[in-house]
Amino acid sequence: MLNILVCVKQVPDINLVKMDPVTGSLIRAGVPAILNPLDANALEAAVRVKEAHGGTVTVITMGPDMAKEALRECLAAGADRAVLLSDRAFANADTLATSYVIASAAKQLGEFDLIFCGKESLDGATGQMGSQLAERFGASQISSTAKIVEVDTAAHTITAERDLERGTEVLRAKYPCLLTVEKANFRPRIPNLKRWKASRTAPIAVYSAATIPGLDPAQIGDPGSPTKVPRTYPPEVGAKGSMIDEGSTEKNVDRLFERIADVL
Amino acid sequence: MNKTDYKDMWVFIERDGDSVLPVSLELCSETRRLCDASGEKLVAVIVGSISDGELQRVLDCGVDKVIHVTGTGYDYFNNDAYTNLFTVLCRKYRPTAVMVGGTINGRDFAPRFAARLGTGCTSDATELVWDPKTTDIEFVEPAVGGKMMAVITVPVARPQVGTIRPGTFKCVPCGARAHEVIEERIDFPVADIRTEILDFRADDLDESLNIADADVIVCVGNAIKGADALPRYRRLAERLGGKLACTRPVFDRGVLPFKLVIGQSGAVVKPKLLLSFGVSGAVNHVTGFSDADVVVAVNTDPEAAIFNYCTYGIVGDMDEVCEAMLAKLGE
Amino acid sequence: MTKYKKVTPEIAAQLQAIVGAKRFFAGDAVKDDFSHDEMPIYGKYYPEVVCEAESTEEVSAILRVCYENDIPVTPRGAGTGLVGGCVPLCGGVVLCTTRMNKILSYDMNNLVVHIQPGVLLCDLAADALTRGLMYPPDPGEKTATVGGNVSTNAGGMRAVKYGVTRDYVLAMTVVLPDGRVMELGKTVCKTSSGYSLLHLMIGSEGTLGVITELTLKLIPKPEMNVSLILPFADVETAIASVPQIKLANLDPQSIEFMERDIVDSSAAFTGNTIFPTVVDGKEAGAYILVTLVGDSEAELTAKMDRLGALAEQCGAYDTLVVWTDGLKKDVWAARSAFLTVIEADTKLLDEMDVVVPVDRIAEFLVYTRATGKAEGITIRNFGHAGDGNLHIYCCANDMALDEFKRRSKAVMDKCYAKCTEFGGQVSGEHAIGHAKKQYLVESVGETAFGLMQAIKQVFDPKGILNPGKVCTNVEEG
Repeated sequence: MLNILVCVKQVPDINLVKMDPVTGSLIRAGVPAILNPLDANALEAAVRVKEAHGGTVTVITMGPDMAKEALRECLAAGADRAVLLSDRAFANADTLATSYVIASAAKQLGEFDLIFCGKESLDGATGQMGSQLAERFGASQISSTAKIVEVDTAAHTITAERDLERGTEVLRAKYPCLLTVEKANFRPRIPNLKRWKASRTAPIAVYSAATIPGLDPAQIGDPGSPTKVPRTYPPEVGAKGSMIDEGSTEKNVDRLFERIADVL
Repeated sequence: MNKTDYKDMWVFIERDGDSVLPVSLELCSETRRLCDASGEKLVAVIVGSISDGELQRVLDCGVDKVIHVTGTGYDYFNNDAYTNLFTVLCRKYRPTAVMVGGTINGRDFAPRFAARLGTGCTSDATELVWDPKTTDIEFVEPAVGGKMMAVITVPVARPQVGTIRPGTFKCVPCGARAHEVIEERIDFPVADIRTEILDFRADDLDESLNIADADVIVCVGNAIKGADALPRYRRLAERLGGKLACTRPVFDRGVLPFKLVIGQSGAVVKPKLLLSFGVSGAVNHVTGFSDADVVVAVNTDPEAAIFNYCTYGIVGDMDEVCEAMLAKLGE
Repeated sequence: MTKYKKVTPEIAAQLQAIVGAKRFFAGDAVKDDFSHDEMPIYGKYYPEVVCEAESTEEVSAILRVCYENDIPVTPRGAGTGLVGGCVPLCGGVVLCTTRMNKILSYDMNNLVVHIQPGVLLCDLAADALTRGLMYPPDPGEKTATVGGNVSTNAGGMRAVKYGVTRDYVLAMTVVLPDGRVMELGKTVCKTSSGYSLLHLMIGSEGTLGVITELTLKLIPKPEMNVSLILPFADVETAIASVPQIKLANLDPQSIEFMERDIVDSSAAFTGNTIFPTVVDGKEAGAYILVTLVGDSEAELTAKMDRLGALAEQCGAYDTLVVWTDGLKKDVWAARSAFLTVIEADTKLLDEMDVVVPVDRIAEFLVYTRATGKAEGITIRNFGHAGDGNLHIYCCANDMALDEFKRRSKAVMDKCYAKCTEFGGQVSGEHAIGHAKKQYLVESVGETAFGLMQAIKQVFDPKGILNPGKVCTNVEEG
């Protein structure tokens, strides 16, 4: 029986985040928190493996209490159990500290054969989490997984296709293996009513820093994060281009073509 | 950890067979600039045998030192051997920074050796600044979908690891200089490599999907009505001897393939002429064409941000303007 | 009947003086778009002049000039109609309202919004939402103008629960054909005050007056909504569930139906494969898509339980819950793409927008399909199962235009007759325009049609406003 872990993140829907034109800060109020879209693809990949070969899918996330909603979405879409890692001490973690907390907690949950996560998050978009989780788990790694070709439960290997710049690589990796997942072939399913209802009331295990044995306080949250963000600022706005307004589309295009004649 | 114990800035020279990937040369050039500011040495890390010609291209970027690694386990890219290699090298030589091209494989192993070393890794910076006060590199990158710029630093740990997208920086060879070559032998037991490449299928070489080197690009943004609205833009691109491209949301909607996406999470392009239709102008897109010579933007919204990044702007319906251009070109 | 005159250079100059050179187009400067709407099968008719008005005063001044000079005027919004309603059959002036696109004010105490008619439906809906309010009418074409929606009494998916555009218009400013400006209605929700000219104006397709401002009723935005997909073996079983769903006191916001072929085409065309085609190992042949709203998850869950039980009794393969924003976006994007998909698949296209009693939908669809087959015309359809409003498309690819027109007319003649026989309406929300006049007469009868013509005569004795539409006949050209 395969023991599968899916690491997910709840993210603000950044498409709806606006910039305050006066203060230059981001307006996050009223922006819905959603399951990171690529993590939904990762879950779908995991659930398909489970359906084909048997096993359980555990989904884990680090975040505030409201991140349970993302976990419930995963339960509805096929995960068997859900774990939330929630503690003020986890706040301001970069990918390194986050991967440490997730891997430390996961060790309490069992030995995982396969670990899935989305290729990158919508908000941070560093795409580093998969590699760093793989390191923490001591797992082999298949990044940018486009397709799962085969799971050999006897030989303890998984074979997957990766999208590279110039082609497709077919890679076979030994358990434990961490796969980061691309979008295209793993459209998340729509849950049926029965599953959905169960997901709304299913128990979600919550771990705090104190309930993860052996957790090193120096490696979590802000102290455990080697990268810092000393400042942010609004993007520089370039000088406005030369606007062409000759009264009609045809005249505008005529004028434009005069101006760009040398590069045409 | 004492930061002053860490010296030199490294660039990993990634190769396809013998040939050095352009991104590695771009990183050498940009890191040379940082080294000039900080007084560090620029070190190229080359794995496996390299031809004199390719080596010269690297040296021409002003490299002070080459660490040339030989050993088992590096014949093809695999995360296990390369993660181990950089862990061993960094522990031995203590570089202050390691720059890795943001290729799929570069992004695969760089964050992992950073994790093994317990140091910080940044990705996709579009600007690098060396701060003399802190002696840290500021990795500047668009964040939250390009709605703001974030400065990322690694203020305590070393080395500072960064993966940078191909095309972000320019390769400006400054000429070879006197340089030291260090030969290193680091074997990674082939039996310990946990992944095995069973097959590689090269993509059919579809030239229309290669926008990085196009001289003329017609780029459609999220205002595109759908796939059925595309033919006129394709025609315009063809007529001008250029290629069709798009913004990230157009890919997300499934209208065009990912290889046509211009921007931070796509291709960086440097055309002579970019015709941009129905593009809002989010920073993570516009960073993808900052070196274009002439940019023409068409958008219905006179306040659209794209007009701040164009040479010429026309307020109008994208389809209508495109049709008018086709008509003007005698279509 | 008045003999229309041409727009002379002198009249053109007067019109140009009203709107200014930038919003005035004549001759070759008139864009092709102004000669048709989104149903190209009904031909192209070019105006002599296009005026883009920005205010009630400009509209009034334009109409005064045209009235004095017997120039036909065709009001036009975004031109997204499907029956040629905004097409200038007799040339003359197209009076375009798309620049009158300002949301003027909200009255949060009385839950109304005051707008210009050229505001796009999608813009109004989004803006209202930012204030916690909802504009309930939800016609499929989101880039239509609200003025156009009012002129056609557009309906949409949410009509099952909330009613149609008519139910949300409280007041309007109208310019009569001779240029007089009139206020109709008040910002109150009841009236028992004489003939309702307001309601006469709604759905009159720009034949009685030109709407220049609108006061619309809004409602507080429902806290939550959920959509449910019920896959069925075939369209008959699917439609048979609809009366039961309506009886179950779930107060659904919408009940849509879709057949497998159109779901497949949509997936192939957009790459969005959100609708599952195989459920529990069984091929789905048709789907019912139900949207429920409520103020709490508990309320919705109770409703979903009832719907789930009902779906099972009715033979649905399963009840799928579209709960997250991501899934909702994909499901509704697929649904919204249907017309585009049909257009993309089809060279020759004509359309019916009939309404039949809900319990006759399946029977009517079977009839249209058989009738189409007999004439060699492919029938594709989708629509609002909850209110019996069906969008039925006659499609062909390899056929001469004349041949297609002849055959599709034969199909439509029979289908509209069947619709009348079933007690249905010619159009649920796309209106009559010039394309469906014949079927309107047959449906409502000579007496009612005569009254419509008489009303038109009272409002527009010279017949200059949108000639040839709804109930008037003209010599085209």
